[in-house]
Amino acid sequence: MMEQNTDVIQGTLDLLILKTVSLEPMHGFGIGRRVEQVSQGVFRMNPGSLLTALQRLERAGWLDAEWRTTENSRRAKFYRLTRAGKKQLEIEEADWNRRAAAVARLLRQEA
Amino acid sequence: MAWWREVKYGLGGLLHRRERAREIDDEVEHYFEEAAAAYRERGFSDEDARRAARRECGIPEAAREQARSYGWENAIRAVGADAHFAVRQLGRNPVFAVCAVLMLGVGIGANTAIFSFVNSVLLRPLPYPDANRLTILLSEQGNSNRAPVSMFDLYQMRQGSHAFDEIAGIWVTNRVLPGKGDPEQGKVGVVTSNFLPLFSARPLLGRYFGPEDDLQHAPSTVVLSHELWVRKFGSDPRIIGTAVPVGRGSSIVIGVLPKGFRLLFPEDASVPPNVDYFQSLPIGPWEPNGPAFLHVVGRLREGASLAAARSELASTAEAINATSGRERVPNYHLYAFGLQNDDVREIRRTLYLLFGAVAFVLLIGCANVANLLMVRARQRLHETTIRAALGASTARLMQQVLTETFVTVLLGGAAALLVGWAALKAIVAVEPPSFAHLGPVTLDMRVLGFTFAVAVAVSAIVTLAPISAVRRLKPAEDLKRSGRSTTRRQSRSATVLVAGEVALAFVLLIGTGLLLRTLANIVRVDPGFNAEHVFTLRVSLPNGEVLREVQRALSALPGVESVSTVSHLPLDDQGNWYDAYWKDGAAADEQNASMADMRSVLPGYFGTIRAQLTQGRDFTEADDAAHQHVAVIDDVMARQLWPGESALGKRINASDSPRGPYQFERDTLVVVGVVRHVQCHTLTATVRPQIYVPYALAPRPSMSMVIRASGAMPDLATAARKQIASLNRNVAVTHLEALSSLVDRARAESRFVSVLAALLSIVALQLALGGIYGVLSYSVVVRTAEIGIRMAVGAQRAEVMRLVLAEGMVPVSIGIAAGAMLSAVSMPLLDHLLFEIKVTNPETYLLSMCALVTLGGLAMLMPALRATRISPMTALTTE
Repeated sequence: MMEQNTDVIQGTLDLLILKTVSLEPMHGFGIGRRVEQVSQGVFRMNPGSLLTALQRLERAGWLDAEWRTTENSRRAKFYRLTRAGKKQLEIEEADWNRRAAAVARLLRQEA
Repeated sequence: MAWWREVKYGLGGLLHRRERAREIDDEVEHYFEEAAAAYRERGFSDEDARRAARRECGIPEAAREQARSYGWENAIRAVGADAHFAVRQLGRNPVFAVCAVLMLGVGIGANTAIFSFVNSVLLRPLPYPDANRLTILLSEQGNSNRAPVSMFDLYQMRQGSHAFDEIAGIWVTNRVLPGKGDPEQGKVGVVTSNFLPLFSARPLLGRYFGPEDDLQHAPSTVVLSHELWVRKFGSDPRIIGTAVPVGRGSSIVIGVLPKGFRLLFPEDASVPPNVDYFQSLPIGPWEPNGPAFLHVVGRLREGASLAAARSELASTAEAINATSGRERVPNYHLYAFGLQNDDVREIRRTLYLLFGAVAFVLLIGCANVANLLMVRARQRLHETTIRAALGASTARLMQQVLTETFVTVLLGGAAALLVGWAALKAIVAVEPPSFAHLGPVTLDMRVLGFTFAVAVAVSAIVTLAPISAVRRLKPAEDLKRSGRSTTRRQSRSATVLVAGEVALAFVLLIGTGLLLRTLANIVRVDPGFNAEHVFTLRVSLPNGEVLREVQRALSALPGVESVSTVSHLPLDDQGNWYDAYWKDGAAADEQNASMADMRSVLPGYFGTIRAQLTQGRDFTEADDAAHQHVAVIDDVMARQLWPGESALGKRINASDSPRGPYQFERDTLVVVGVVRHVQCHTLTATVRPQIYVPYALAPRPSMSMVIRASGAMPDLATAARKQIASLNRNVAVTHLEALSSLVDRARAESRFVSVLAALLSIVALQLALGGIYGVLSYSVVVRTAEIGIRMAVGAQRAEVMRLVLAEGMVPVSIGIAAGAMLSAVSMPLLDHLLFEIKVTNPETYLLSMCALVTLGGLAMLMPALRATRISPMTALTTE
């Protein structure tokens, strides 16, 4: 299976998408590609999960979507962070940092 | 407002399904285009780029499916699809669908019908303000309980009561009705002025009685029922405040009761539901030894308990009995019951028994449907196994099975509402006597809810079988066996189901048998009189002179053998007259200890109804107040007071009213005759001994004529009415009916219960036989190959038949054994409905068993014959 070992941890998917979209409005494929590149291939998303997650975030009111033309003149659905989404991103970022730090501390102790 | 966004998006998704789907499709398509484009940039050809994109991202269809199924609206759609599939499956197998829906429809429908009775009669509160605080107050005096009380007692109960905030009394008697048209006899409720407000918040017109009506010189007032106001006063609202003729005087109409007002009293209280008008009766400390005639209702004070009320009544009873100047009544007690509880005390057990019976029918139906579903699940085992092997999760397979049964059961539930409604109409149409004094029985929201709940419970029960089949799936092994199912274990569960059905049907059969035998005993019972060719009618008349004129006039009719009259017809519970009696000269503490039914008659009464005089003589016209006061007693009393001696010439102390109607006094009467006990209240119980006194000693304004004709006379009613009218004496004639219809009515209760039980048994029996037939037929199909081999190696047809019958008899015998045990435990519950038959009656058990074995054998015959016709060749080649 292609996604072995690179499955996005449940719950971090939202954070990754929100963070990626916060830089500039982007379409689904762009988001997936960006996450993969920046994470140097650690995180890969399959299109089904990604598009489902985008629907969920849009419903939650954290993303706005509109159909636009891309630079290579295709029609695509572009997602943009809303104000509520920005706040959510801050919360999730802080949350992630806190937990990551905690895990790091624990690991240090064990060692 | 996250939920609001969810709802909005979800509804949007449902409404604009196509647009939403296309948008997702576009998005997925764009995703794969971009992915391919990325490969093209790296120099792949068009074709290779697309293939590479697929390799990286999976197939677009899967992504589309995943993205499309997000959201609650799509979960709904999945269930909808399952339901759709289920309906298609049912449509493909209409025999199964019709059988299942029909069995469930009958099973659940019977429950719906009986539950609507339980709901209307036991659960729904009586239609009165503060109905839950209303209680009925009764007395026990000597050998009679549930007796009315005197005004003196009512007054004492009210004085300083802490438990009750109101205590009111009613006495219902017959009077000529006021209003236009022919003189007509009806019911008047003589009530204390606080009575009506307990049962009705406000009148339709005018007012109810109040303290002003209790004042000494207050004018006589009446409150009319809605029905009387419409019928006899043309719904005229100006009637309020005017005087109408009532009895010998006139009364002012002060109010009209609301439409549909009914007095829901216990059946034995002599308070009928529909009273034509009401008169008030002032409450006061009347004569301490006054007659006990009031039926009393108390309203508990807010927060007061029934137990507190009972202990208060106990001490009041003691105080009353200790009043100086009051004759001490042995065994005098006062007690209270909740009005509704008391109303339904007879019917409650019967209703619960019927409820149990319909639950049995439903269980049998469930077992059949479970069997059908199991057979179906087995037939589809191959398909299911393949789906499981292809990766369908157990949960998904179960969801589908569940949806399918749920759809079946819901259809059954819908059929059940129809069946239940029709059954309810049918039952109400035969007017079961014990419900007559209770409120109307209807289908309401609670009944609908109950039906739905039962349907859900049923689907849960019947799904267990196919679900367990799905759970036992082991795709890898099962596929190897190429779809042949494991028949051994599953046929065991079929045996259990059929045995259960037979057991339940057996219990119902025995119960029905006992009830039918009871009905037969009741029909055979000798009521102490012969009702054949006796016609009765009630007359209201000014005096005894006119009564004798009526008697003479009716005797003159051609075809009439004899005519007499009685104050209270046998088996007619329209009021009663009973009072204490004792042997003349009995010690003070033996007085007031026993009650007898009192009857006022003209000479010839015993001969006319063919009551049997065993000793002495009938009355004559010379037995009047001026001569020796005489009585005829029944054999019950004669045996009780003078065992082993002749009662003739002995003296008893009883009450009569030689000075005029209802002016009761104690009197010493000489016994001149003994008559066999006449069943007065029921056909089955000797309620009280009887004393007959001549009309001259106890005149009444209303008497029942009994007319014996020499043969069937269909036009006797018209002739009698005409004859009485020709006297021109202002006599109101009512209640024209044959004495035999009173006997019929007394049998109606038993007939109603046993007919209903018989119907339920027939349904249960048919379901159980259907179950036996179905399971055995399927088993023969499954065993075709085996039977074929047996026949190929020389088994005779008879042997094959024996084989199949033996297999079928296993669950039947287990069922009968289990049913017999279940009956031994449950039949004692039926005891109060039975008459002259024991709950353990061995004949009934034996007969039911024979019936079940015979009918069960017949149900097995078809599959068994089919088995003998299996040709070995085809059997072996088809497998």
